[in-house]
Amino acid sequence: MELASQDAELRAALFRFVDVVPACRSLDDLAQHLTGFLGEVDDRPPPLEVAMRMSGTKAGRTALGAAAAAGVKHMAHRFIVGETPRDANGVLEELWRKGVATSVDLLGEATVTSAEADRYAARCREALDGLAEVYKGLPARPRLEEDSAGRIPRANLSVKVSALTPLLRPDAPERGKRDAAGRLRDLLRRARELDAHLHIDMESYDSREAVTELVLELLAEDEFRDGPSAGLVLQAYLRDSPDLCDRIIAWAHATPRGYPLLVRLVKGAYWDHEIVEARQHGWESPVFEVKADSDRNFEALTLRLLEARPSVRVAIASHNLRSIAHAVAANRAMGGDDGDVEIQVLRGLGDDLQQALATRGLRVRTYCPVGDLVAGMAYLVRRLLENTSNESFLHEQAAGRPLDELLAAP
Amino acid sequence: MTDLPTFVNEPIGELRRATVRDELSAGMDRLRLPLRVPVWIGDGERHGQELTSEDPGNPDRVVAVSALATEAEVDEAVATAARGFARWSAVPAARRAEILVKAAAWMRERRAELAALEVRECAKPWGEADADVCEAIDFLEFYARGAVALDRGKALFQVPGERNEMHYAPRGVVAVIAPWNFPIAIPMGMTAAGLATGNAVVLKPAEQSPACGWIVVRALREAGVPPEAIALLPGEGDTGAALVNHPGVHTIAFTGSGPVGLQIIRAAAEPGAHHLKRVVAEMGGKNCVIVDSDADLDDAVPGIVQSAFIYAGQKCSAASRVLVHEAIADALLERVAGAVDVLVVGQADTFGIDVPPVIEQDAQARVERYRKIARDTGRIAAEATDGLPNHGWFVAPTVAADLPTDSPVLNEEIFGPLLAIERVPSIDAAMDRVEQLDFALTGGLFCRNPHTVERVVRRTPVGNLYVNRPITGAMVGRQPFGGNRLSGTGTKAGGPDYLLHFVEPRVVTENTVRHGLVI
Repeated sequence: MELASQDAELRAALFRFVDVVPACRSLDDLAQHLTGFLGEVDDRPPPLEVAMRMSGTKAGRTALGAAAAAGVKHMAHRFIVGETPRDANGVLEELWRKGVATSVDLLGEATVTSAEADRYAARCREALDGLAEVYKGLPARPRLEEDSAGRIPRANLSVKVSALTPLLRPDAPERGKRDAAGRLRDLLRRARELDAHLHIDMESYDSREAVTELVLELLAEDEFRDGPSAGLVLQAYLRDSPDLCDRIIAWAHATPRGYPLLVRLVKGAYWDHEIVEARQHGWESPVFEVKADSDRNFEALTLRLLEARPSVRVAIASHNLRSIAHAVAANRAMGGDDGDVEIQVLRGLGDDLQQALATRGLRVRTYCPVGDLVAGMAYLVRRLLENTSNESFLHEQAAGRPLDELLAAP
Repeated sequence: MTDLPTFVNEPIGELRRATVRDELSAGMDRLRLPLRVPVWIGDGERHGQELTSEDPGNPDRVVAVSALATEAEVDEAVATAARGFARWSAVPAARRAEILVKAAAWMRERRAELAALEVRECAKPWGEADADVCEAIDFLEFYARGAVALDRGKALFQVPGERNEMHYAPRGVVAVIAPWNFPIAIPMGMTAAGLATGNAVVLKPAEQSPACGWIVVRALREAGVPPEAIALLPGEGDTGAALVNHPGVHTIAFTGSGPVGLQIIRAAAEPGAHHLKRVVAEMGGKNCVIVDSDADLDDAVPGIVQSAFIYAGQKCSAASRVLVHEAIADALLERVAGAVDVLVVGQADTFGIDVPPVIEQDAQARVERYRKIARDTGRIAAEATDGLPNHGWFVAPTVAADLPTDSPVLNEEIFGPLLAIERVPSIDAAMDRVEQLDFALTGGLFCRNPHTVERVVRRTPVGNLYVNRPITGAMVGRQPFGGNRLSGTGTKAGGPDYLLHFVEPRVVTENTVRHGLVI
């Protein structure tokens, strides 16, 4: 991965390779793809020259394909905890014992048919059942199970609306919302029965309206007043996120619930997509183009959300030490207990951070994707992009940029 | 006169924002129907009721009441255009460009109403209608700049004692015969190319969309194109035939069906008054999307569905065949079929519908005929018949499979929401099938192996190949558009060479030696 960050061309070639791995039919096929991509890189480092030479023979290609497949699998395992929720149980249990909660995310191929939406909903239902089962037998972890607003469910599943319906249309949010509502309502009921938390992820700007309206409308329904615990996501890289933040807070004040709405504040994972789409259509991009603007907005939103408690619960999802420290300090300054703000990290990216924070007595939840390599590819490529982005906090930290610079105000 | 700023595409409406959708709806509210469309020659406007256009989704709604140009009016229009040519060609290129840019501004101010008109007259869904208006604006802006550049001529070799210059002169009267499927953009594109280079233009819009044609002429006249230099002749096939056969016409710019295009090319072989006629023709397609075994189906499935069914498949660029590698054929077919099952067929004025009606009753009957062939000789893998309105020219979007290779469904242009899927043992086998077709307009390839992409690029005969994306939606200046073989004359609308078809190069060599001295 270090190689990949160094050179844009090489990085592109390796991403394209990682992306196609699950679709390759044989080791030979894999090797041909790899050399095809590397062939487009002008300045190849010596190890890759060796790879190119190996591809000259069938045996060489088989060996190269096997090595490359193993490499990608290894990398995928860093970010994806298991192929099925059952495979993930061990990791979830281990994390809990270390004082870390989780939210499980089921990776999937894009939903383009109703059958696929039904299958995803069924997988979510099974996952909820499985999670409730795993967490039932685990020892008490008071830090993870309650805050000043009350109890916090142990089992926690994140779901994607784009997987719950094939009908999301940017110009007609109503359509996707209507179709997803049935499946989501079903999951909310199951989560309530199991006393699990259901979190609805946010995706690209195209579906933002549909997702926001869907979640706020369903959770305002009488039957969900007392549960389950549920939440949504606020993306700080969106220019209009302060407006959405106000809307969510106003909703929360007007809609008392047994479990306060959990708002997960993130920077946002679709930055490249949003920029490309806006440029291709001649639109102003919906996201801040300068990273510091997102970081600054993240801090402002952190304050507004923390102040809106106890109508909402707040989760700060970031690997940026300054963003996290800012939230923790702001919470303390407001007189809050450390348990009244949750810190969320991604499996594979925030592992060290997760441990450090948990050890200091903070409430940490790790987002754990589950699924096979084909289904997980889109997720994996996004994480790799994030990890090798030159502006990424983790990348800069690893490159040895001084900490006081990294922690400077955005 | 200041230089024009660098060309950029007109940004299409951001329909994911509610405020933008509201603006378009307000444009519909302002539209007062029916519109009255005249035969418009010079300063003369003759109104009439011989021709009407209706809303394809609700044929009881009359969109436009139009006069129908007679043969005498065709003569009058060409004679007037000849006078207009003398005047317009004398206007400096930069001034002509300024006027075209003004026409673009006129349209920009009325984007919502113009899109609304397309929604009504041609049942273009909002996003498509808005994009069409933007494309018309793009053509004006793009060709205005292109013509100014062309006017500078080309550099030639020079030696002492002679001065060599090459410049491009307009040819005369351009007859534009336009289609209804891009009812403002395509007539505007052909017309703007003619005018930008200094020709006079007589426009015959499609009989299905006279009001959209009227908008094209209005925009240009409001901006300052002299009335003699641009005429509107609403009419049917015989008006178009009289126009292209007219000896006073120098260039014919045509976009439409293959048979009509071939007729025009034959007719144009007959010389004009003192010249050979030139034809720029964009005709049909039978566009194939090839899907390799390593394709990302998460991209390929939505890409294929969009390419085949957007605007009910009534784009020359639309996908009508999918050639998929057998290793993933079952998965692809299942997912495409499932995706087509959930498509919503509905009125074009409803945001979020997937498939609008086809243009007219004949079109509906034609597509139904092909659907029957597919059902009788192959298999219908999916058809979205739920909630199909029974009034209006609606057709269920359909996916057919298992057809014999000589099936008309696989070889003829259907121009409707019918997609055929075939399995192939290899990409080379897919290319063999593409090569057997008469048409070569657009093509698609979903594949992640750079070697394979290169192989297909080398072999494909199509004018526009799209790799790992939908195959419709060419943008002016970014995807110059046009086909080869029987799909067209190989010209590229919205490209750097297009204007050359509307001009003739002239070279002047002057001896600069006097009494043995170079002066």
